[in-house]
Amino acid sequence: MQRNINRFLWLLLPVLVATGCDAPEARFRMNMAYLHKNEKKAEAFTAEQKADVANILAALFGTPDQPHLPQGAGLEDVISIDRLKMAAGPVGVDEQGIATGLYRQHCSHCHGVSGDGNGPTAAYLNPYPRDYRMGIFKFKSTGKGTPPTHEDLLRILYEGVPGTAMPSFRLLPDIEREAIVDYVKYLAIRGQVERRLMEDIAIELGPGERLDQSGEYLVGEIVASAVAKWSAAEEEVTEVPARPDDWNESAAIARGRELFHGAVANCVKCHGETQLGDGQRTDYDEWSKDYEDFSKPMTDQEKQKLVDELVELGGLPPRNIFPRNLREGIYRGGRRPEELYRRITNGIDGTPMPAATMKPDDAPEQQQGLTAADVWCIVDYIRSLPYEPGGERATYGQEFKRERM
Amino acid sequence: MTNVDIPADTEQRGAWPHRLAVLLVCATFPLIWVGGLVTTYDAGMAVPDWPSTYGYNLFLYPWQTWVSGPWDLFIEHGHRLLGATVGMLAIAAMVTIVWKDSRRWVKVLSVIALTAVCLQGVLGGQRVLWNNRQIAQLHGVFGPVCFCLFVSLAVVTSQWWRATGRTGDSLQIGNMSARGAVGATVLSGCALVQLILGSQLRHVMGGAGGAGFRVALLFHLVLAAVIFAQTVWLVAIHLAATSRDGVKSVALSLMFLVLLQVGLGLATWVLKYYWPAWAEGAWFARPFTIVNESMPQSLVVTGHVATGSLILAMSVKLALRSWRLCRPANINARPPLNVKGTTLTMGVAL
Repeated sequence: MQRNINRFLWLLLPVLVATGCDAPEARFRMNMAYLHKNEKKAEAFTAEQKADVANILAALFGTPDQPHLPQGAGLEDVISIDRLKMAAGPVGVDEQGIATGLYRQHCSHCHGVSGDGNGPTAAYLNPYPRDYRMGIFKFKSTGKGTPPTHEDLLRILYEGVPGTAMPSFRLLPDIEREAIVDYVKYLAIRGQVERRLMEDIAIELGPGERLDQSGEYLVGEIVASAVAKWSAAEEEVTEVPARPDDWNESAAIARGRELFHGAVANCVKCHGETQLGDGQRTDYDEWSKDYEDFSKPMTDQEKQKLVDELVELGGLPPRNIFPRNLREGIYRGGRRPEELYRRITNGIDGTPMPAATMKPDDAPEQQQGLTAADVWCIVDYIRSLPYEPGGERATYGQEFKRERM
Repeated sequence: MTNVDIPADTEQRGAWPHRLAVLLVCATFPLIWVGGLVTTYDAGMAVPDWPSTYGYNLFLYPWQTWVSGPWDLFIEHGHRLLGATVGMLAIAAMVTIVWKDSRRWVKVLSVIALTAVCLQGVLGGQRVLWNNRQIAQLHGVFGPVCFCLFVSLAVVTSQWWRATGRTGDSLQIGNMSARGAVGATVLSGCALVQLILGSQLRHVMGGAGGAGFRVALLFHLVLAAVIFAQTVWLVAIHLAATSRDGVKSVALSLMFLVLLQVGLGLATWVLKYYWPAWAEGAWFARPFTIVNESMPQSLVVTGHVATGSLILAMSVKLALRSWRLCRPANINARPPLNVKGTTLTMGVAL
């Protein structure tokens, strides 16, 4: 018996060591996958060049416990330094009893301290948590290639992302949600600057050449170019026109069905004839393609080698992105008609969902594109799908599935 | 079925030691719940000082501020008040046991329990003063250990314990084998390790790598299966025996708790991290939006933690009672001994 107990304890030891001694120090991780991607473009970075990137980022943005903002790039108009400090650092309260360390408390276990979308739980979530460092966000009111507005990020925090592990933080006080949004923007801009520095080393500099350390280049050029897009986001919000006064919903749904299956909108290509999201299912999102475009033709061995490389560099194995099953009635970016309207006109950043080609309302029939009224028709059709026919959501989808099999 | 005369070793005057021990157990379980809520809401630092509360003596902190203040402050200060109550009950239980109970080992056990609860309080305080999550984790795991000590006190001061060991009584205890007791003891050890692994998953920190979480999750799942199998086995061997009053009911309660815990564990994952990819599209995996720190999420997650402690305590109770039933002192006429071990009867292995 004693021998058995001893064996058990010896077996247990590595478990306890592996799980109990994992006392992490909060620090930003370098974007090694992107660094390696840039090394492939040119020469391998020297140790000094890598150290330059880390030192410049630390000088400009500080650390997870003590973040700061570079002055002179207009960043203070995008991020409140007070709220940033509230969200940063270890979990606790300050002398006034105000909560601090909000990002570490609510976000970092999935999104990671660096905002790389690779926190300890990330590998188990589907979809993976967002990697902020590309500055790309899916659900927003602005067009493709434009960052989200402050309100967009607040809305995601308030409502969560239905059908995913991203929760709603509606029970948090407003000020705490605001602070988290500022911290997310901080991580996104820091990540964009990091990428730009790596690109400049690979493209602009010769082998072994060091980065320009001047404020003019670092703040005036690199940080400012990242900040400019964030500053302009509020003015880039896509306007949603009202439906015409004489709107007939039944006719709109019928027209929407026609457009959905038609060559112009061609929603059917990805969302499928059944609207179960079973059309094109082999593509990847931009985060998965960041290191390498896995949708390109390659052998299984080549793909596996790249995946292993990516994982070794701190990334997550890429997964295919699937089009939404429109019969579930779950829309990750929100179910309001105007949100669906924008998703059609703007597309979804970072995904294969394209922005619709738009044309004026009075454009001739034969001109390629969708009018605002056409988009509203598609919105109404999509919103009718979960209830078609007779409000039987899941059953209808399952029927389609069985037929296909 | 065996009739045995049992020698005296359990002299005890009055029922107060047992009453106080039971009261201590009853006060500790809510304390574990509230402690679990503190972690669920990450409210451990809601009061930044210790042992005082925002400069006030713990007991003199204005109750209006406490009750009408933020939720984090409410549960953290409430946890401290409950902890202090449990500490005082532990003192009362220890004094009563030392005074009333003649058994030296029980007195020692009561002193150990009091020392443990004091240490637990200090750990909680240091967690705040150093704002250290590793200490918070230790505090969270040591709480159930204290709970087990209190349950042990309640078991060994009980009427059942005395009746099972009373001099001259002819007690029918059936054919209790040591393997049931060994099984319950191993189960207690597994339940404690499971709590440690669970705390590692619960206190997951962003700065940690995925490896720690992965290892903890894997072992947590494997150990859950082991505990489930062990419990089924224990219930089976106890139900197969003709007479084991006081053990069968504990084993069945343990089975119920383990089943409940499996359900709570699955629900915890779904309410925290959503349906896993393999479940997507399944008939039961209805899409929904997770609401952080919502009432259902908090109750399920904290309930999973509290039920884990209850399983540990119940397995300790089962182990103690099982060993009691196969103590060598219970037996005047020993049945034959199987030297190979697993079928030792009536506790001769002890």
